[in-house]
Amino acid sequence: MTSTAAIAVEGVARSFGDVHAVRQADFEAASGQVTALIGPNGSGKTTLLLMLATLLQPDAGTIRIAGHDPVADPRAVRRVMGWMPDVLGSWAALTVRGALETTGRLYELGPADARTRANELIELVGLETLADQPARVLSRGQKQRLSLARALVHRPSVLLLDEPASGLDPAARVDLRVLVRRLAAEGCAVVVSSHVLAELDEMADTAVYLDHGATASAERIERSRATARDWRVRALDPAALAAALEAESIVTSGTDHLGALVTVSGEAEAAAVLERLVRAGIAVSAFGPAVGDLEHTYLDLARGEVAEQPVIDSTEAPR
Amino acid sequence: MLVIVVFVLVGIVTALLWASLDAFGGNVEQTAGVYSTIIFFVLLVGTLVTPAVSGGAINGDRDAGTLATTQVTLATTGQIVLAKFLAAWTVALTFLAASLPAMLFTVLAGGVRLDTLAASLGVLVLELGVVAAVGVGLSGVIARPLFSVVTTYLVVAALSIGTLIAFTLGGLAVQTERTQTYIGIDFSVGGEFDPVTGLPEEIVCLEPETYSYPVPRFDLVWGILAANPYIVLADAAPTTFTSEGYPEDLFGQIALGVRSAQLPIVFDEVIDECGAALAGDPNSAYEFETPQEIFDRTVPSWFVGLAIHLVLAIAALAAAVARTRTPAGRLPTGSRVA
Repeated sequence: MTSTAAIAVEGVARSFGDVHAVRQADFEAASGQVTALIGPNGSGKTTLLLMLATLLQPDAGTIRIAGHDPVADPRAVRRVMGWMPDVLGSWAALTVRGALETTGRLYELGPADARTRANELIELVGLETLADQPARVLSRGQKQRLSLARALVHRPSVLLLDEPASGLDPAARVDLRVLVRRLAAEGCAVVVSSHVLAELDEMADTAVYLDHGATASAERIERSRATARDWRVRALDPAALAAALEAESIVTSGTDHLGALVTVSGEAEAAAVLERLVRAGIAVSAFGPAVGDLEHTYLDLARGEVAEQPVIDSTEAPR
Repeated sequence: MLVIVVFVLVGIVTALLWASLDAFGGNVEQTAGVYSTIIFFVLLVGTLVTPAVSGGAINGDRDAGTLATTQVTLATTGQIVLAKFLAAWTVALTFLAASLPAMLFTVLAGGVRLDTLAASLGVLVLELGVVAAVGVGLSGVIARPLFSVVTTYLVVAALSIGTLIAFTLGGLAVQTERTQTYIGIDFSVGGEFDPVTGLPEEIVCLEPETYSYPVPRFDLVWGILAANPYIVLADAAPTTFTSEGYPEDLFGQIALGVRSAQLPIVFDEVIDECGAALAGDPNSAYEFETPQEIFDRTVPSWFVGLAIHLVLAIAALAAAVARTRTPAGRLPTGSRVA
């Protein structure tokens, strides 16, 4: 472990009674990078983020946020850490502006600074037209943006986002992605948890896989990446494509409404397959991985888990 | 909205009291009586409303998802709990403020002494604070808002009604045998009756008669009453007496109740009416104390009761701080941090 990582988690475990929400979490997140925290429902993502956000004590292991221990010195961590919870709560009676100003005051900003910062954030998350409306009239997606703005009030260098995109429309998701990338570019260490992998694919630099409370080791991830995976081929003439695949004896794993699926291991083999198809005179209109990088690894890890041990029906861990 | 209801209610009560007391005449007693009744009414309304306002302060925020986002800011747990308490207290005091016009009316009408005003208002403000603190404290300790509100109501009921029940049952449970010896005058002998005194010319005593009966020992359990907020309020207000030695307002009358309970019981009482008659006045055999005399030889207890309430309030808030502190260690089953 290097001491320069913005977030360093080592051997962290936390249980609630008999439920072991997090059993063994190890990972690092660097400044200027977006780290995806990936795992199925009940895998311990939220519990892990609550520990990073100074709200829960780990039973075992150590956490460092910008070098500070959230248990020993929560104040130092809170000064540099912004947290957007998965639960959308807002002071119903306060306006958007009022909520952000109050949050600023809670972060010990002066009244004038808090007002200035609130205006900046309202613009940043695009809530200008609703700034003076009480928070209870906001839609789910708008509350989500308010929640994000609130996490940014004190210009944190470590940002923890728990399911930030749920409930957002496609345009807002793009806005979120752009904003998160911009924050990372400004030097912020961002951790984003989600189980919607497609959106993380476009946002994250690295990923941490969490399953049954344990982070997957780097070598397991490497192994998963190397396993054979499906690429999707679409051609102007599907019948000709099927014939060509047959003639070239390329391994396929079926066809779906979007095209044929070919099984390749690695990008080199994918390029070779494409070249053979083009040489065979097939008019290929689309060629790409059938599932995203993260999803492929995630599903492969999940499948590995099935082989190793029976999956217990894991509902959302009680908190 | 609720404030307006309280304002109207207190106004109606004041008007009715004024009208009904008018029938008895008298000026000083009347306004002092109305003022003390209003204060008790405000305490009643305040203790009925404050648990609902304060009892869901912390766990309600947790349910709404706004507690954790406050806890990750630089505000400490102590500051958050204290702020919740001050907010609940302020709301409770707005009900007092809504009754101020009615109070002001009785004060302006005269008869309410300044020290009575200061003591009763001071204790009322503190007692509303105690209920607010207990509510906020329990809302931090109990996971669900509904249960913490109900528990706060139960605490208020235990103090307001429970102490009365405990006092009554406790006094009745411990009973002691008391004997009374009565020496009367034999009216069948002694000749003619004196038309002035109603006594025979020659006073002949009867044989002493002894009765024995159990008496409840309220003198042993009167301390329970000290924890009753209404009695704290009544006992704290300086009591003023009429020239006959009777209390002028409701404060004095309720305080008289707790003061009388303190009186030690005389286990062997001899009522020698005959001896008193021989000495000149048979009525002097019967001891009689005016309420003022009872006040003079018993002790005030309001500061003990108030101290108990303040300790309760501080303990409740401290428990809430301990339970709400983050990063949270062990969590009780079924509860959550965010």
